[in-house]
Amino acid sequence: MSPMTGRFNSQSLDPIGVMIERLLPIAGRVVPQQKRQDWVKEWQAELWHQRHGDRRVWRERGVMHDAASLVYGLVADAAWLRVDWAREMVLGSAYSCLWVLAAYGLLCAAMERAAEDSWHSFFHVLTAHFFGGFVLVAAPAIFAAVATYPLRPLRCNRQHPGAKGFLSTRAKWNLFLGAKVVLTLALGFLASLAATGPARMLVGRYSDWVELGLYALAVTVGLRWALLNQEQRCQKCLRMLSQPTRVGNPSHNFLEWSGMELVCADGHGLLHVPEMQGSWCWYDLWVERDLEFDLEF
Amino acid sequence: MSSGKLSHSVAIILKALSLGYQFGFEIMEVTGLPSGTVYPALRRLERDGLVSSNWEAEDEALKEQRPARRYYELTKVGKEAEMTAVKRYPLLSRLLPEKLVKTL
Repeated sequence: MSPMTGRFNSQSLDPIGVMIERLLPIAGRVVPQQKRQDWVKEWQAELWHQRHGDRRVWRERGVMHDAASLVYGLVADAAWLRVDWAREMVLGSAYSCLWVLAAYGLLCAAMERAAEDSWHSFFHVLTAHFFGGFVLVAAPAIFAAVATYPLRPLRCNRQHPGAKGFLSTRAKWNLFLGAKVVLTLALGFLASLAATGPARMLVGRYSDWVELGLYALAVTVGLRWALLNQEQRCQKCLRMLSQPTRVGNPSHNFLEWSGMELVCADGHGLLHVPEMQGSWCWYDLWVERDLEFDLEF
Repeated sequence: MSSGKLSHSVAIILKALSLGYQFGFEIMEVTGLPSGTVYPALRRLERDGLVSSNWEAEDEALKEQRPARRYYELTKVGKEAEMTAVKRYPLLSRLLPEKLVKTL
């Protein structure tokens, strides 16, 4: 029996009450650690009410039915909190981005493999189309994308105070960008190949022209997306920034700053995106939360 | 959670909160919904900003010889969602009684 229950319990608990009380810390382990204490405290208060409150509907359907329903509610509540926490952790993270790209790529590859007779012919088609078409389109597109990418000071040019692991923040940033670009291009290639599969069977090599067009589209859109997506991520944890908020008045552009602000959900910093670039703000500005400020206050 | 996609259970919970019912078991009692529906729904409503929660002051709870409760209340967005729910389910207003006395 928990200390809280003992403190307020004036009556001895029935066996079902004891069982539910014992289940509470076990179910509590499912709840994310930062919410666990509050969760247990809340359920203790609720169970107290169930035993001592002026219930109107309790035990109308039988003690066992109500107890089973309560246990289900307890476990469902704990499980919901765990699933929601996991969803929050995964949503917008760098890992989930790479996993989703890889999964779509594998799906397209599986579709293409299903259309071919054997693994040999599958790899033959992949190699032939990759070197015979995709590289010809992708190489100049990548060159154009890099050449026209706006030059600006690196945002993550220093090691963040709270950074973990042996890789620096900048190395993680570049590694993630590289992996994302490679997976995006691979997905573009495989998706184009899978999409033109039926046409290839019908008209043979003539479908290559359609395929080249699709490659060009996939590479252009994919690279553009990969770079834009990188811009909207936290410099520290690489999670997607959220809660876009308009700041300032667009009609006062020459008098004061206006634009959009996005924040990291984990509180690592803030990204200012100017409405209009000017001498006061040429680039998006990343403002990192000052850890020393937190220590002071 | 979009107010246009409120389920019947969520609509009842919002209505119960608007009538002054403040914590899980109280909502379960008045709505007849099981705990497996009420608690996850309250968490989801809180996450989506329709409901906010705060802990009862310890000394107030001690006066009544019971543990402090976590009380839920509708936010501004939650009140709008509740009004939408009432329009969508007109019988909702007649389904739940107004809370008259403070629950022990």
